[in-house]
Order: sequence, then C-alpha cells, then structure tokens
Amino acid sequence: MAFPHRPDAPELPDFSMLKRLARDQLIYLLEQLPGKKDLFIEADLMSPLDRIANVSILKQHEVDKLYKVENKPALSSSEQLCFLVRPRIKNMRYIASLVNADKMAGRTRKYKVIFSPQKFYACEMVLEEEGVYGDVSCDEWAFSLLPLDVDLLSMELPEFFRDYFLEGDQRWINTLAQALHLLSTLYGPFPNCYGIGRCAKMSYELWKRLEEEEDGETKGRRPEIGHIFLLDRDVDFVTALCSQVVYEGLVDDTFRIKCGSVDFGPEVTSSDKSLKVLLNAEDKVFNEIRNEHFSNVFGFLSQKARNLQAQYDRRRGMDIKQMKNFVSQELKGLKQEHRLLSLHIGACESIMKKKTKQDFQELIKTEHALLEGFNIRESTNYIEEHIDRQVSPIESLRLMCLLSITENGLIPKDYRSLKTQYLQSYGPEHLLTFFNLRRAGLLTEQAPGDTLTAVESKVSKLVTDKAAGKITDAFSSLAKRSNFRAISKKLNLIPRVDGEYDLKVPRDMAYVFSGAYVPLSCRIIEQVLERRGWQGLDEVVRLLNCSELAFTDMTKDDKASSESLRLILVVFLGGCTFSEISALRFLGREKGK
Amino acid sequence: MDCYTANWNPLGDSAFYRKYELYSMDWDLKEELRDCLVAAAPYGGPIALLRNPWRKEKPASARPVLEIYSASGVPLASLLWKSGPVVSLGWSAEEELLCVQEDGVVLVYGLHGDFRRHFSMGNEVLQNRVLDARIFHTEFGSGVAILTGAHRFTLSANVGDLKLRRMPEVPGLQSAPSCWTTVCQDRVAHILLAVGPDLYLPRPFCLVFPLALPQTPPGLAPGVSSFLQMAVSFTYRHLALFTDTGYIWMGTASLKEKLCEFNCNIRAPPKQMVWCSRPRSKERAVVVAWERRLMVVGDAPESIQFVLDEDSYLVPELDGVRVFSRSTHEFLHEVPVASEEIFKIASMAPGALLLEAQKEYEKESQKADEYLREIQELGQLPQAVQQCIEAAGHEHWPDMQKSLLRAASFGKCFLDRFPPDSFVRMCQDLRVLNAIRDYHIGIPLTYSQYPQVLVLRRLYPLAIQICEYLRLPEVQGVSRILAHWACYKVQQKDVSDEDVARAINQKLGDTPGVSYSDIAARAYGCGRTELAIKLLEYEPRSGEQVPLLLKMKRSKLALSKAIESGDTDLVFTVLLHLKNELNRGDFFMTLRNQPMALSLYRQFCKHQELETLKDLYNQDDNHQELGSFHIRASYAAEERIEGRVAALQTAADAFYKAKNEFAAKATEDQMRLLRLQRRLEDELGGQFLDLSLHDTVTTLILSGQNKRAEQLARDFRIPDKRLWWLKLTALADLEDWEELEKFSKSKKSPIGYLPFVEICMKQHNKYEAKKYASRVGPEQKVKALLLVGDVAQAADVAIEHRNEAEMSLVLSHCTGSTDGATADKIQRARAQAQKK
Repeated sequence: MAFPHRPDAPELPDFSMLKRLARDQLIYLLEQLPGKKDLFIEADLMSPLDRIANVSILKQHEVDKLYKVENKPALSSSEQLCFLVRPRIKNMRYIASLVNADKMAGRTRKYKVIFSPQKFYACEMVLEEEGVYGDVSCDEWAFSLLPLDVDLLSMELPEFFRDYFLEGDQRWINTLAQALHLLSTLYGPFPNCYGIGRCAKMSYELWKRLEEEEDGETKGRRPEIGHIFLLDRDVDFVTALCSQVVYEGLVDDTFRIKCGSVDFGPEVTSSDKSLKVLLNAEDKVFNEIRNEHFSNVFGFLSQKARNLQAQYDRRRGMDIKQMKNFVSQELKGLKQEHRLLSLHIGACESIMKKKTKQDFQELIKTEHALLEGFNIRESTNYIEEHIDRQVSPIESLRLMCLLSITENGLIPKDYRSLKTQYLQSYGPEHLLTFFNLRRAGLLTEQAPGDTLTAVESKVSKLVTDKAAGKITDAFSSLAKRSNFRAISKKLNLIPRVDGEYDLKVPRDMAYVFSGAYVPLSCRIIEQVLERRGWQGLDEVVRLLNCSELAFTDMTKDDKASSESLRLILVVFLGGCTFSEISALRFLGREKGK
Repeated sequence: MDCYTANWNPLGDSAFYRKYELYSMDWDLKEELRDCLVAAAPYGGPIALLRNPWRKEKPASARPVLEIYSASGVPLASLLWKSGPVVSLGWSAEEELLCVQEDGVVLVYGLHGDFRRHFSMGNEVLQNRVLDARIFHTEFGSGVAILTGAHRFTLSANVGDLKLRRMPEVPGLQSAPSCWTTVCQDRVAHILLAVGPDLYLPRPFCLVFPLALPQTPPGLAPGVSSFLQMAVSFTYRHLALFTDTGYIWMGTASLKEKLCEFNCNIRAPPKQMVWCSRPRSKERAVVVAWERRLMVVGDAPESIQFVLDEDSYLVPELDGVRVFSRSTHEFLHEVPVASEEIFKIASMAPGALLLEAQKEYEKESQKADEYLREIQELGQLPQAVQQCIEAAGHEHWPDMQKSLLRAASFGKCFLDRFPPDSFVRMCQDLRVLNAIRDYHIGIPLTYSQYPQVLVLRRLYPLAIQICEYLRLPEVQGVSRILAHWACYKVQQKDVSDEDVARAINQKLGDTPGVSYSDIAARAYGCGRTELAIKLLEYEPRSGEQVPLLLKMKRSKLALSKAIESGDTDLVFTVLLHLKNELNRGDFFMTLRNQPMALSLYRQFCKHQELETLKDLYNQDDNHQELGSFHIRASYAAEERIEGRVAALQTAADAFYKAKNEFAAKATEDQMRLLRLQRRLEDELGGQFLDLSLHDTVTTLILSGQNKRAEQLARDFRIPDKRLWWLKLTALADLEDWEELEKFSKSKKSPIGYLPFVEICMKQHNKYEAKKYASRVGPEQKVKALLLVGDVAQAADVAIEHRNEAEMSLVLSHCTGSTDGATADKIQRARAQAQKK
C-alpha cells in the first residue's frame, strides 16, 4: 500500500516520527528478553527492518546473531531465540518444529515470537495445536507504516491484495484501521475523508470506531493533513496493468523496487558486483528524473553529464587557494553526483536493451489500442503471438487481463483459445492461475446474451440486498463488469490530441502513459477533490459498481483555514504503481500552486 | 475532661487501650452465641449466625436458620438451611459468605442471603470429611483451608480462582493438631500447626524436606507440653501462642524472633485469641477471651482485664478488635497518638493547649489568649491544628469530633498560610463516616473504605450522594454504583425482561465507564439469558458482546456480532467455538451463511487442515473448487506419476460436474502429457516431466527427435502458428540452417517470413537472413530489408510504396556518410509526393 500525496508548497508532515516510534517499540520488545539472544527474521521483513533499526542498534540490545526464517533447522546455539515474523501460519509451524526439536533433544531455551504488524488468533491456535504455546511468549510489534520517502508511506504487506481481493479475507482491515488511527493521532484529525470501494468503506468504519473508543485526544488538535482519500485497488485495475513509461516506473518494471531500494546488477554498475541503491528524494539525480517520461530522461542525463564535466573543468586555471576550496567543498558533492549519474545512465541503458529486445513499441501500441478500444482483433492476434512466442508469462497475462477489463470480458472463443495457448506455452499449472484471475475479476468471459442492463439489475439487486456478505459472493459468482469504455468516456480518460503530445511539458496526467491515457484512479481522485465530494459523479460511481460504497465525510467546513488543508493523503488499498504516484505528484504541482 | 479518659487503661508505660460501645445490639437472638456458628466480616462488616444443631448429640427436629445481621444488629437476611451439615462459616474479602460443609462443598451466599455458587474442595476432602475449616484473607483474595478427617490439610488461596493445594503429611500426626492456623509467607499461604510441644510448617514445594521438621519458637519457657491456641496478626507478620501452662509467647510469624512473653496463670484454654494493634504503632498486644474474662496482654508485666457479662465474640480489625455479644457491640483499640497527646491528663502538647484555648474562648475568658500565646511562642500552632484535626478523625462520638474540629478551626484563624485541604477533607470524611456508622446502616468503619462497602449493601442513593459529595470522578464513583445497581436490578426475578432492560437503559444511558456486557453477564448468571441478550444490544462495542454470547451458547448470534465488529480474530475465536459445539454438518451450514467467516476459515484450512477444506467444498457441492483442490494436491502431496495422474483424474471429474468443460479437458490433456513425458524420460533420458507442451516439443526438436515432435504436435493439436514459431526458434538455436530452409519451404509460412529474418539476425547470420528477406511480404519488406542492413533497397521499396511512415523509418536508419545518397533520394521522393 502506498500513500503518495502532493509534494508541494505546503510543508509535509514529519513522517520520520513513524520510524522513531517503531524503533522505540522494537527496542522495548527486545529488552523484554534480557541477555544475549539470536534473532530470526522473516525474509520480507528484513528490508523494512533495515530502514528502522540497523544491525548495530540490534547489537546494542544484545542481539547476537541474525538468521533468516527459512525452512531449515536452526544452527543457533544461543539460549534465547527471538523470532520477528509476519503472522503467517507457515512461520508458526516452523517455530513449532524448532521448539519441538529442542524438546526432543532435552534442551530448554527461551523463545519469543514478535508478530508484526499484529498477531492473529489463528497463529496462536497453530502454536497451541503443535503443543508449544506454553513454551513461547508472544508479542506484537505494531509497525504498520514505513515512510519510504518524504511523501510516501507503505504498509509493506504484499499479501493484502491476494488476501482481500482474491480470498475475501478481511483480517488486514483491522491493521489498516489501526494505521489510520495512528496517523490521525500523530498528525491531527483529518477534516475531510473520501473513499470508494467496499474495503475502503469497511476500513473507514472500523477506523472511526477506534477513534470513538478512545476519543478526546485528537480533538482540538490542528490537523496537518487536510484530506484523506481511500481507494480500493479493484476500482481501477486498468492503470495497474499498463506498461509504465515514467523513469521510476520503468526501473520498477525492470529491476523491481523493493521497500524503496533497488538492486542494480553488474550490467548497470559496470563492475562485477551488484549494488543496492536507495531510491528517494535524497538522491538528487534520481529526484529530478523519477517522474519524467522515459523519452526525456536520456536528454536530461546527458545535459547533467555535461554540466558536471564543466564543473570539473573549472579546476583548470585555478590557483592553489581556489583549488583547495574546490577540493574541500565541492569535489565530494561532485563525485557523489558523478557516481549517481553513472548509475542511472547504466540503468537507462539496461532498460533500453531489455525493452527493445521485447519490441516495446509494438507492446505499447497494442496497449494503447486496447485502451482506446480500436483494432481489437489485431490486438488479440498480437497477444496470441506474444503467447506463442513465449515472450514472458507475466506480460502475456497482463495483456490478456487488460483486454478482458477494457472489453468487459473476452468473447468466449478468444477466452478459450487464449487460455489453451497459454497453457501450452507456459505449463498446465496455470489453470489455477486462470481460476484466480477470474475470481478476482481480472480475466473473465463475456456471458453470452448478457446485456448491460441485465448485469446492472443483477448488480443493483446484490448491492441493495443488505443481508451482509452477499456482496462478497458477487466476487466469485458475478465477475465484476468493468464498464471501462463508458467510464473512460465519462471521465475523458483518453485525451483527444491534435498533433504530437509534448512529453517534455506535460499538460495533464496522461503524460505518464505517453499522453495516451489518464490513469483512472488519479482522475477519480482529482474529480472528487475538485468537487469536494461525489456530487455529479453518480453516473461514474454507478458504472464502477460501487454506488453504495462511495462516501464523503466533511466534519467541519472551515475551508478558509490553514495551509495544511492543501495536503492530501491518498491511500491505495491493495497497492499502487509508480506511474500513479508520478501522476499524483503532477496533479499536486498543477493544483497546488 | 477527667471523665473522658476514664475508659483508658494503661498497658505498660507508653500505651493506653480503650474500649467503647459502638451499638447496643438490636437483634433479638433466641439462641446463645455459643450455640451458633458465628462469622463476622472485617471492616465493620456483617455478622452471620447459623445455629449449629449438628454439634449436639441429638439432632434438632427443625432445620436451622442462617441469619445475617449488620454490625448494629439490623437483620439483613434470614433463610432456612436446607443443605448438609456446616462446619465453618466465613466472609470473603468481597463480603460473600462462604459456608464450608462437612462434605467439602463450599456454598457461597451474597450479603443478602442470595445464593451465588458452590464449589467443592476435592475428592479427598469428600471422602475423609471436614474436621475443621478456616476462611482467611491474603493479598490475592480470600482462601479456604480445610483439615480433613485423615488429618491432612487442603487449601485454596483464592476462592475466586480455585486451585486446590494438598499439603504434605505431617509425620506422626495421629490425631487432630491441638491448634492450627494459616500463615502467609513469601506470598504463599501455609498451614502452621501444633502437635504436642512441636510446631510444624509443612511446605508443599520444598523438595529436600517434603515432610516438615518440628520447630520450636525461640525463647519459649520450659515445661510446655502443648499449645492450646494460636493467633496470627492481620498482616501475617506476628504470631501469638498460648500454652497449656498459661503462658503466652509473642513473636514473628517466621518463628525466628521473640517479641515478648506473658504468664497469665490461667490454664483453661481460651475461647479466642486475637491480635490488637494498629498500623505504624510500635505497641503490640494480644486480646485473649475466656468465658467471662477478657485480657489484653502485651510487653508489660501487668495485663488489662475486663469482665465479660455475656457470651462474646472477637473480630480482629486492622486497627483494633471488635467485641460483640447479645446486647452490645464494642470496639477495643490502642488510643491513637494524637488523641493521647491531647487528652492525656495534664498534657502540655500543642493540641491539648489549643483545645483548652478554644474552650476558654467560648467561655469568653482571657485565658484563651494565654493558652494561644503559649503555643505561638513555641511556634507550634500548625502542629496544634494538625493534631486536633487528626484526633477528630479517631473519635467515635460526633460531639467530641465537633469540639476538636472547632478547636482546629479556631487555631487556623491565627495562621496565615495553613492549607485548608486537610481540614476540609476531614470534615467530609467524618460526615460520611458518621452517616454510615448510623445505627440503621450499621457499619462501624474507622476509615476510608466507604463507597465500595456501601454499594455491597445496596444503599445506592446514599452511595451516589457520597460520591457526588466527595466529588469522585464519574467513572470511578457514580458509574460504578450505577453499574452495580443495574446488576442488582437484573436479579429481580419478578420484573419482565423488557421492563428491566428498559429501566436500566433509561437510567444508565451512555454513562461513561458503564459496561453493559458486565451487567448482561450478571443477568446470565441469574439464568436470565433473554434479558442478557437484550442488555447486550445496548453495548456499543460489538466486540464486548461476543464472549458472553459464546458463554450463553448463542454462538450464531456471537458470530454475526463478531463479524459486525470487523475484528477477524474475534470471528476466528467464535468459529473455533462453533466447530467444537456443532456437528460438522451444522458447522458448515453456519459458515455458508457467513461468507466473511467462511473465507477466513478457508484460509486457515488451506494452511492447516486440508482435509477439512475438502469436506467444506464437498458439503457445498462446489465442484469447481474441489477440482482446484485436487490439482493443487497433485502437485503438493504426490510424488509418483500414478498418484499425480489419479489426483488429476479426480480433478477432471470434479470439473465435469462443475460443467467446466474447458478445465476438465485441460486437466485431461495434462494427464496425457504427464504420461507421455514419463515415457519420453524412460525412452530418451533427459528431463521432460513438468515441462509445458511447448517446451516438451522444443526439447524434442533440440535433441533431434523431429518425428516425435511432429507426432506430439498432431496429438495435442498444436496450432500451425505456434508450431512454426516453435520450430523456427528451436532450429535457429541449433543453428541448423539447412533444416530451417527446408522447413521454410515445406509450405507457406503462417507467420510470414519476417520472423525468419529476425531470428537469423539474432544469431548474427546475415547471409541466411538475406535469403528470407526477399520472401517477406510487401507490408513488412522495408522492415526486413532494414534488419539485414540493406538501407538502399529499403529506400527503394519505401518510395515505391509511397508510404510516408516507411520513408521516415528508413531515414532514421540512414547514418552518416555511407547512406547520404539514399537519404537524399528519400527527401526528393518526399518533396515530390508533397508537391502532388
């Protein structure tokens, strides 16, 4: 999950407070187990942990050795073992097997399990079933929000999407509500709340209940953030399915940005080692190009290189004193910049190489055709060829899903043949993948004779049927109709452009997709904030199939008040793409003026 | 003044003891106290009497009556005893009456004779019967200690959280110990018992000496052959022993130190012996009672003696001893320091002088000024005021309190900066204390536990007034009382559920700190489940409702409440409860109606109980999911091919049932493929299993098995396009250019010839690429020519096509000097085209 918002004139709240809070709590928990101990860390908690507390802090609190939680017997010889894990059942079984192995060997040690961000009863149940509940002590590390950048927070919960949108499991909603509650206690109450989607609504309600239960504290505080917008990922799958073309998005698509940092391989670093690089606003070079369309990036980088060279060149003709000054003051900065510059140039080259190999232009062309809804047959053929050539399993799927969503499902013939081709190319196990995609509404079949009105009446019946939970069934039984085409028309998502779209000086958010498409999610946010609510968007909301689940909550209408009201926090429930972040940053710059 | 100290009795040089009447008892006792089991709760608590007919030789014809009185003798409850013989009575710290029966069953009654619950002290007690029992209080609550007929002890340190501890056997204990008591050391309750001249302290946790060794108190006078009575102090710190020689030993409860001793020369065993001391006082004294004699002994050669006219009973208190009999209720305690200083004869303490000054002032005598001056010269006026305030607190009679407070107030006038809180606080406290000491209420409290105590007596209006008077915060005071009132209200069985629920909601509204679920729990405790459910409706936090609903076996309601709360953990708790409570079918049916719970449970099963997951799908006839389940199983559980194929077959059957023919066919294809791959591995070696169809064919071609590859393609009906792509890639990988050319000519390519060009160039074979470039169709010709690097020809074709886009494409490939001519040509053609 990510929380981008406009980095602009109004000052951003100090999110590093969240880090300090998490660190203090972790230290407290570690000190609960006095003496030397070995720490077992879940693999995907390692990077977030690294951002909160480095190894030396851990050592200060008597952590002796660090291990990764993996399915291997532990070699640790320490008398005290501490496990830092996500609340997952497989971890519990691992811990239980470890404890039981010790018991068999007649060994007694102390075990402590720290769950992050919270513990689940099911986990304790498993420990109990395995007969080790009495041997371990359990604690919670309520570390739910990691500030990745000055304007970006993440919950680092990769399973959120799968659990909620595929399995209909709502356990993370509580975690989310807690996180929102934490934000409102730290940064003042949010005067305006908007949201769309079922998950957004549930989280919102749970959050408000939490606030009620311990009221008093936040009241009367000056809010630091004016608006909060909750958005379910399934409101807009389209944007997430498009190839990214802003620099940061491309880096993510090519190298995977994890927890705000990226591993650049040898082909980028032009040495024989990989390098882990932190990507955020502190990287001056990156900060300037992250939101740029890729076509501008090379030009910018070479300009930058020339400037750098010029600065280096100044030292010719310097006298001794100037030289001393230069070395002591500027050289370090220049060297740093130089290093970063060469890294990003390397990255660009690597991206170019990969993209040309795949015939990126063709791919983009097909995507745009799908978004605009012409030459469907040709696009379908392209996808089929893509599959036949085994270009990339994930890209093939992405294209299929995009086709399905923009077209309200595939026509039955294509649905069958594409699936058959896919299974032949990439293996029969993907039959299950297709079941899941279908359930999540990502890849569906047009029901024969299913006219728009028929579906609509079905949907509205389900939505009005308050006998709770029935809607969850709608997930599986009735693959959600996306109505993308109609929404696109209503919200004007495909800009009509005469002539070239100038990517250097973008006019609207469409630049993040080469001017071909304005991200739906960001457009909704823009519209709602402009109108300060959902008035006039009824038709869109209806088309999104979320009519009951869009809400606005304006507690007080003191528009005139402080600066801070211009700050907006957008919460994507189920993750977001860097393109969307770039688009929102753009929106912030445009409207924030 | 003289008469005021008349009831003061000196003990030794430093301390005085006084005994004064609290109430003349209002009760109308038919029996002698000695014929009854008696229990009086500490802190001015109630008195319970049970005429004991079981001790007499011939059992009484009528059933005995259990009666409860306030300390002033006002009857609170009376009920016919219908259960078995009672050995001992006692009050718990919560003022619940514990009645220990001979069979080890303990019945618990409320202050008003309402039956609360019962529990048993275990089988061993049941078999051997109860010989003697004591109720005792520790910091953990109230405990019960039992001496069984087999001379063994069983105790539970907290009746609220019953854990029975059986004490180890004492060697050579053939008969009941001459006396015993409970002591509390190191936060653990023990039994101290006396057998002949020895004391034993069995420790259940001591591994080295599981049997206790006999102990002797230090400095014990010789000639003792047995102990007749023992007493521990209120705080468990001190112990007093009465021997058969009429000698009293007082020391620490650890038996390590002696404090003092006294010889009273009375050999008759005393009826009762209790400690009488006050906190922070150095004086320690023991009160010993015989039939007609009461004796206070301490660290002094002489003792104080009182004559008892009637049968009396001693109640140890924190700061003294209460003594009650048929007609009176008295309090015996050490005179507090402040009172002693003021009232001692010829005292020159500042407080005494201030009191005198005030009296003279009222008489309008100038002596008042003299006294006042005397105090002020010594600079002791603040102490004087303080002393008067303090002493007022210790006085029982309002008149005396008033005159002391008046003196304090008088003294305050001459002080600039005396903080008024202590005075105000004392006035308030005394008003409260006097109110509850009132004969009708009958709680002779000495200090500070009031609101709590009143509530237990159901004196709600008074309690609320007191709370408001003392300005206790709402959450602490009024809310608690209201909640308590509500708990009482639900016990009124004659009022209908609706009325009670409405009445409670009206009165409580949304008072902060009131928990409806607590009240509902009480209602359920009284067997009023429906009322409890109604009350729960008022509970704003649905999470709070769940545990009680579960307890009431309203699990389904609990489930929907849990879901409402949005707390998945809570939902899960309820689910596990339901799972144990219902049979499997019903459980699944319940799940079916709650999709949120269902998905939660499914998630759990996926990781922990795969079989249950299968049953779940079976129950729902969800063949689609069953199919997926078996497919997953074919990967996870089975190693052997046969097993995997069997699992897949089951999956395919399920898909057919689900009318998902596509999936069924796909699964059957997979089975076929698996078998085939197995055969290929057997025949050709190499790795085939779990490759995709495409990869299987590719592998075959790469290993030169073209025939088999063709066969496979036919069997699985691989479309032409795919086959061409596949072969093209494979042959290029092999760099088998000859075969590739043959293949390209086998028939017209369904994918065109551009891919041929591309793939040759990828392998850097320009020569081969050029061969195919000529065969590329017109639309892609330019692209193909450019790929093989023939810019000039590409330009020609583009110009021929008069295609603007193609021309610019070629132009973009024109580099530097070599293609200068070509570039010019295109520019010219363009210009021409534009002219037209």
